Amino acid sequence: MPLDLLLIMVVGGVSLVALILHLTGRSAQTVLSAEDARTAWHRHFPDDEVHQVMVSEDRHAALVQTSVATGLLWSFGADTVARHLIDFDVMETDHGLRVEFHDFGTPGVSLALEPRERERWQQLMTSP
Amino acid sequence: MSDAISYPDVTQYAVPFFIAAILAEFLWIAIKGRGGRYETRDALTSLIMGAGSVASGILLGFIAWGFFMLLWRITPLDMGTSVWAIVTCFVLDDLRYYWVHRFGHRVRWVWASHVNHHSSQHYNLTTALRQTWTGTFTFMMVVRAPLVLMGFHPALVLFVGGINLVYQFWIHTEAIGKMPRWFEAVMNTPSHHRAHHGRNARYLDCNYAGVFIIWDKMFGTFVPEQEGDRVDYGLVHNIGTFNPLRVAFHEWVGIFRDMTQPGLSWKQRLLYAVAPPGYSHDGSRDTSEGIKAKHLARNPQDRGTPGFDAS
Repeated sequence: MPLDLLLIMVVGGVSLVALILHLTGRSAQTVLSAEDARTAWHRHFPDDEVHQVMVSEDRHAALVQTSVATGLLWSFGADTVARHLIDFDVMETDHGLRVEFHDFGTPGVSLALEPRERERWQQLMTSP
Repeated sequence: MSDAISYPDVTQYAVPFFIAAILAEFLWIAIKGRGGRYETRDALTSLIMGAGSVASGILLGFIAWGFFMLLWRITPLDMGTSVWAIVTCFVLDDLRYYWVHRFGHRVRWVWASHVNHHSSQHYNLTTALRQTWTGTFTFMMVVRAPLVLMGFHPALVLFVGGINLVYQFWIHTEAIGKMPRWFEAVMNTPSHHRAHHGRNARYLDCNYAGVFIIWDKMFGTFVPEQEGDRVDYGLVHNIGTFNPLRVAFHEWVGIFRDMTQPGLSWKQRLLYAVAPPGYSHDGSRDTSEGIKAKHLARNPQDRGTPGFDAS
């Protein structure tokens, strides 16, 4: 197959699929309740005992106190990703916090938090 | 012995069909309200990975081709291009696929290339196209060497390999439940392959088949999809990025970081590259065996059920 034709089909096809998905509402981030966050944490870390869950006001992230360490769970498209807060950096941003994980496959996440919420989350993330 | 045999690149010719089938599956899900899920960035990442895989084949394909042509000049055998030669080559190549795929899950060096195919938490036709960019660097081309040495022309070997990949496209769907019993018994199907994509302890390291599920039944790796244990798609430790570059290379970076840790013996460094995924020198991580054992400790009633040892 001529390369230019292949290129047109690939670029056109990929763009068409992405556009249709976006226009039909498939770009929405998942919304979490405390129970959702607890279930999602057990899905990612079935051995952990979950002590407490704090969901962000925008409901796209949760701080999870577990038997291993404090953890962060966040919306990842229609799903979630979770990490224990063990090897990480946290910094303030205009809209909340940025958490960096030193992990090429999960570089970090930007959390949208209200100012008071940001202070509380930062404290919980960094307290031993 | 002829060098001038050529076959079409079926994966490239299948591109329009892939796009039409993805749109059809999405419409089906949207209309019926069941049969799978789609998410924009996840699907976009999968499609870009597919395009990148084709590009990688165009750019790096000459390495495998050169290796196969070298073998072709050495071998005294020529199986020809009859229908029987093509069918035999297809079946033997599917056996080759089974073992490459099994290595892809049991040897971290090969897993580094294959992991991206499992990195989506979704399971739809776009997931089928979430293919590797780095397959050449696994050196798994050597597993194809016996086919060429047996007298199958390299063009034929690559042709049947392409058909194998195109076959596997349609099985990446939740829109199809189970096929007729005879078909499920012999062929790889959406149900069998859903289990393969599961991150549930039960489904780790099962159903490596490409086209014929009989290989898994022969070599003891078959686990049927269980109604009572819905497949949870993705990786044991799901990645948090839609960036195709990170998806393509994250496990290679992980191998490099692990191998270059200070204070390791040479054996430990080597094992970080070739041991099963989840190996760690200090036991801080779990391989699939460890994950299954922990699951059985929490759920002893599952002992002896499909995917779990009886003892």
